[in-house]
Formats: sequence, structure tokens, C-alpha cells
Amino acid sequence: MAMAMSAAPERRRTSFLRRATTRQAILVWCFLAPSLLIFLLYRILPLAWNILLSLQAWSPLKPAVFIGLENYEEMLTDEVFWQSLWNTVFIILSAPVGIAMALGLALLVNSNISGRNVYRTLIFLSYPLMTVAVAIIWRWMYDERVGLLNYVARLLHLTDTPIPFLNSFFWALPSVVVANIWQMLGFYMIILLTGLQNIPSSLFEAAEIDGATAGDRFWRITLPLLRPSIFLCFVIGMLNSVTSFDLVYVMTGGGPGRATEILVTYIYKLGFVQTRFDYAAAVTVVFFVFLITVAWAANRLSGGNAGARDME
Amino acid sequence: MDRRTLIKSGLAAAGTVAMPAYLRAQSNRKLSILTWNIADQEALFKEEFADFKAQNPGVEIEWLDKKGPELPAFYQTQLVAGTAPDIIDLQGMIWVEWAANGALLDLTPYMQKEPDVAKLYNQDYLASFVYDKKNYVIPFYIAKTLLFYNKTMFKEAGLADAPKSFDEIVNFSQAMAKGEKTGFLTLNFDWLYWPLMQMNGVELLKSDMKTPAFNTPKTIEVLEKLAKATASGGINKIAWTGRWVEPNGAFASGNVGMLQAHSASYFFVKGQAPWVNPDTLGAAQNPGNWSTPTNHGFAISKSSKNPDLAWALVKHMTGNKWATEFSVRRRILTGNLAADKVGLEKVKAEDPLAHAVLLTQLEHTDKMCGNWPLPNDAQVKDVFWAEIQNAVLGRKDAKTALADAERAVTRVMRRS
Repeated sequence: MAMAMSAAPERRRTSFLRRATTRQAILVWCFLAPSLLIFLLYRILPLAWNILLSLQAWSPLKPAVFIGLENYEEMLTDEVFWQSLWNTVFIILSAPVGIAMALGLALLVNSNISGRNVYRTLIFLSYPLMTVAVAIIWRWMYDERVGLLNYVARLLHLTDTPIPFLNSFFWALPSVVVANIWQMLGFYMIILLTGLQNIPSSLFEAAEIDGATAGDRFWRITLPLLRPSIFLCFVIGMLNSVTSFDLVYVMTGGGPGRATEILVTYIYKLGFVQTRFDYAAAVTVVFFVFLITVAWAANRLSGGNAGARDME
Repeated sequence: MDRRTLIKSGLAAAGTVAMPAYLRAQSNRKLSILTWNIADQEALFKEEFADFKAQNPGVEIEWLDKKGPELPAFYQTQLVAGTAPDIIDLQGMIWVEWAANGALLDLTPYMQKEPDVAKLYNQDYLASFVYDKKNYVIPFYIAKTLLFYNKTMFKEAGLADAPKSFDEIVNFSQAMAKGEKTGFLTLNFDWLYWPLMQMNGVELLKSDMKTPAFNTPKTIEVLEKLAKATASGGINKIAWTGRWVEPNGAFASGNVGMLQAHSASYFFVKGQAPWVNPDTLGAAQNPGNWSTPTNHGFAISKSSKNPDLAWALVKHMTGNKWATEFSVRRRILTGNLAADKVGLEKVKAEDPLAHAVLLTQLEHTDKMCGNWPLPNDAQVKDVFWAEIQNAVLGRKDAKTALADAERAVTRVMRRS
């Protein structure tokens, strides 16, 4: 009798594999597995191997030797590394300038001006262009002999001699930054425009009734509610800028001297020009940590939760 | 089972066993060749390969061409993957690093076995492919720097002939600088600016090839002169910032008095500049007859499964027949003595100025500089050049830049 009573619930209990939740989990993992496998193979494993490589002395034709933190120690006294890091920071710091400009444009094309769709399209046009094409366009724009900018500057009597935009230690990095901002402007604007259009108009109407000025409405409603969009712009803009190898490589090749060398071009040169893959791996690890830190700091500055806290 | 069925089955079985062996044999006769930025010669290469295959039945040749900066990165990845091409076309001194690290096959035993092969080539150019007393590369096409000068600008500035010294280069440059016009440009990649140093007796390294020798009062003086001339517009800034297209393009504009570049620049400039003719463009040796080579040559990967066959193809492509075709069709010097003789004769009739330019490439070949067989050439070049740029573009004074360069080069040499 006792046996019969205990056997009944046993029969009622569904086996682990037959449970709906288990089956659903298996299904989910089956769908996820291909992507995860690719992610593991092409992202996580190379990253892990890169970290391992940074602790070794290795070149394609020599056996690897474990050297601990020597590559990282070398970085401390490597002037080119510090110069590249500074240039990378400079480019990151230029992202807010681009975002501010894009915000102005987004506000403009969000207002009731005639032909705003044409303006939106024109501003966005730069973004889908290939970066190499952007670099070539700007290289010619900056050219000392036939460049448009020098032509205009001389036409307006702003200068007597051509400005060597890409050949001068002073001008080269800002010139690259301008080209980068120009390319990203359309992307920033579209993101911010979407954010603007998602702000309920009732908030502005209520504020207006309460006597808020246009400035008050911008600072107290528009800007706080745009925070997630601004965060998105900053993170994508920052990643795009600091990894814009092709833009820098085509425009200046990192020169003159090291004036426009950024970490990503330096890593390329270390690996593929100087055949120092081990040291390049160490710089890559530092670059990775640096990017994670900047993204984390940006998230914190925007109030956490990718800037979306205030929206909840 | 009747006899017919048995025979059929037997043949089928033999065929099955024999087929992979045949295919294996075929793959053993397969060669891959990687050339550098010369895809325009596809038609010629196809003919050369067809001829080689006719002489060597069963051989397959896979040809691949990569553009300028792509080739080293590509070859390195192929080396790591263990799939390096059998034959590779290398430019400048990049081959030394790979030879020193065991990626390239020592061709000396082949050349000793066939002594007549070495006699085909210009001995100075052939010698420039020697590292550690071993020959790793066979000349494919050759070039070295010379001084082009704009005769019209020279005349306007009251200058009669090409400069005979470094100081004359600087002074002539200043004399021609006026408004849009500048006096001098040089190509700068792969140590191509080194003749400017060498004509002043500047040495990069001491005889041990490890210790920097360039930080001297003379080098400081040279850099100060170059910086001063650059600041005043005598030397065009593109000399220190441009790569290939920019300096050649600037000279082609007709607003630059002199261009220190290799012979390939002539054809680019001529293509862009309608003003170029023997009355307006001069081609001379650098003062002191110093020049820096930018040769291309064929090397064989040590990992090649068919080194003998690869050697045969290298000989085939650089031998009299096909080197002559190459020289004639591309208006280029190949380093093959007989081929270049024919090529020069042809050019002489068609384009006397090109003939004069190419002729400089075969003169004073004992005075080539900036081609040290350094296994870490790329690293030394990179750190040294950055400081030279700092000095000539006025970011640092010459003394500081050279001290920094010395520190950087010492670090590179110590590391290796």
C-alpha cells in the first residue's frame, strides 16, 4: 500500500527532459549556440590568446618565451605609446563637440522649417560613405596646392601662404578630428532626432503653461530626456573614432612624426610593420581596458543604466 | 563472377587507388607566387607561366599580387598559418628580417651549383641581396635614387647645372623658392632620403652594425640646414610628410626645382606633367653619386614543398628571355645584364629622356647607401625617421631630435 502511494506522485512528476521549461531552455540554447560559438571563436578566444601573447616574446618565426610583464614595463617608457594614447584621448574628447553640433542640427531639423527632410538627408549623407573615401575627400580638401580650404582661406585673405593642414604638427590632429566629426555628424543627428521625437509634446506644453522659457525647456526637459540618446552617440562615436584606423592611415599615416598616431595605428605598425606582435598584443590589452573604462565612465556620468534611469 | 566482370572490378579498384596518387603527384608540382604591386603585368606573367608549364609538364602555378602596404602583412599571416607562397617578390630591405628569422631559403647552394646563373645579373645589385654571406634574393627589377631637376626653374633662378654638393642642393633650393615655388623634394620611405646624409659623411651605425653612429656635430649641422631650408620654403614640406604620390605629384606640377627619387618616379611624373621633355627636365646623379636602391627581387620561402621547382621558376622569370620581355614592355631595368641592354636600346629610340633616367640606374652602383642588411630594419627605420621629421619640420631642435633618435635606436638594437 505504501509502495503504491509513493509510486503515484512519481508517475505524476514529469521527467527533467520533458518539462516545458527545460525544453524551452534547450530550444533557446539551440538558437543561441551558433552565434555564441562564432562569438567564442572570433572574439573571446582571440582576446584570451592576445592576453597570453602579451606575456610572451613571440614573432611568427620564433618559439614563444614567457616573459611576464616585460612588454607592459616597456610601455611605461615608450614615448610613442604615450603620444598615441594622448592622441586617442584627444579624439575621444572631440566626440562631445560633434554631438553638440549634431544636437543643434537635430533641433533645427526637428522644428517646422521648410525642406527639413532635405536637410536631414543631406546631413546624414556623410555617414554611409566609406571611411577611406572620406579620408581621400578630406585629404584633397586640405591639400596645400589644390585644396578647397586653402583656396577659400586665400580668397578671403585669411592667410597669404597655404596652411599645411596635414603636414603640420599643430594642424594635423585637429584636421583629422574635423574629418571624423564630419563623417559622424549625420549618425549623431539621426539618433538625437529620434530621441527628440520620442519626448512627449505634452511635457513642453505643460512647461510652457507654467511659464518656462525656451532655455528652461531645453535644459530641464529636452536634455535630461535625451540622455540615453546622447550616451549612445558618445559610446558609438567614441568607438568609431578611436578605431578609425582607415581614416588616420589614409589621411596622414600617423604623421607627421607621431602627430596623428593613435593607438590603433600604432598597434598595426607594431604588428605588421615592425613584426612585434607580442608588444602589439600588450598595447592592445591596455587599449581594451582603456575603452572599457571610458565606456564605464560615460555610463556613470550619464546616470548609469546607459543613461536610461530617468526614463523609468 | 565472370572474367570480364573481374577485370572491370580490378581496373576500377586500381583506378581508385591510383587516382589519389596521381592527384598527390600533381599537387607536388604546384607552385604559388606572390608579387608586389605589379598586377598590370598579368598578361606577361601568364605568358611566362605558360612557357614554364610547357617546359615542365604537370606543373601548376598560382599567382597572386598584393598592393604596397598589404604584402608584408599578408605574407606574415601566411607564414604563421604555414601556407607561405613558394616564391615571393620582395622590395627594399624587408627580406632581411625574414631571411634572418629563417623564413627564406638560402639560394647560395643553388647558385654555387649553377655558377652561370649569378653571372646573368648586375653584381652590385645581386650583392645587395646578401645577408650573412648568403644570397637570399634574385633581382626581379631594380631602381635607385637620382636627382631630377626642372631646367626651366633652374634657368629662371640663374642656375646652370645640377648641384654638385649638399650645400648646393640647399642653396639652389633657396634660390628657386618664390611664392608657390619651392626648390627641393625627396622621397622618404625606405631610407630614400639617406643620400642627403651620406653625401655629408653621416653613418647610421658603427662598423659593429649595432651601435648608433649618427649623433655627431656634422649630422646636427645637416639637419639644421634642412630644417632652415624647409622653414623658409626652399625645401617643400611634402619632402618630409608625403609618401609617393604626393611628392611626385608636387614635382609634376612644375613648381618644384628638384626631386630626389627613384627612376620609377620619372614615368609617374611624365604621365602627369605635359611640360616634361629633354629641354625642361634633367636627370643627374646625386652629389657624390650616392643613391639608395629600392629593388624588387624573388625569394623562395623555406617552407616551400618544391624548392627546386621554385628555383627553376625564379631562373625562368629572371633569365634572359623573360627578363628582356619584362624590361622592354615595362620600360624597366631588371638587373639582368643582357635584358637591360636590349631594354635600354629600345627606350633610347622611343624616349631619350627615359633612357637618360634609366642609364643613371646602372652607373655608380658601388655607391648605394641606406641599404644596411639589418634584421630589425623596419624598427630602426621607424624610430629614426620620426625624429628626423621632428627636426626638419621644426618640432624639436636637431640636437634634441638626434639624442632622442640615438636613445630609440639603441633601445631597438639592444632588444634584438
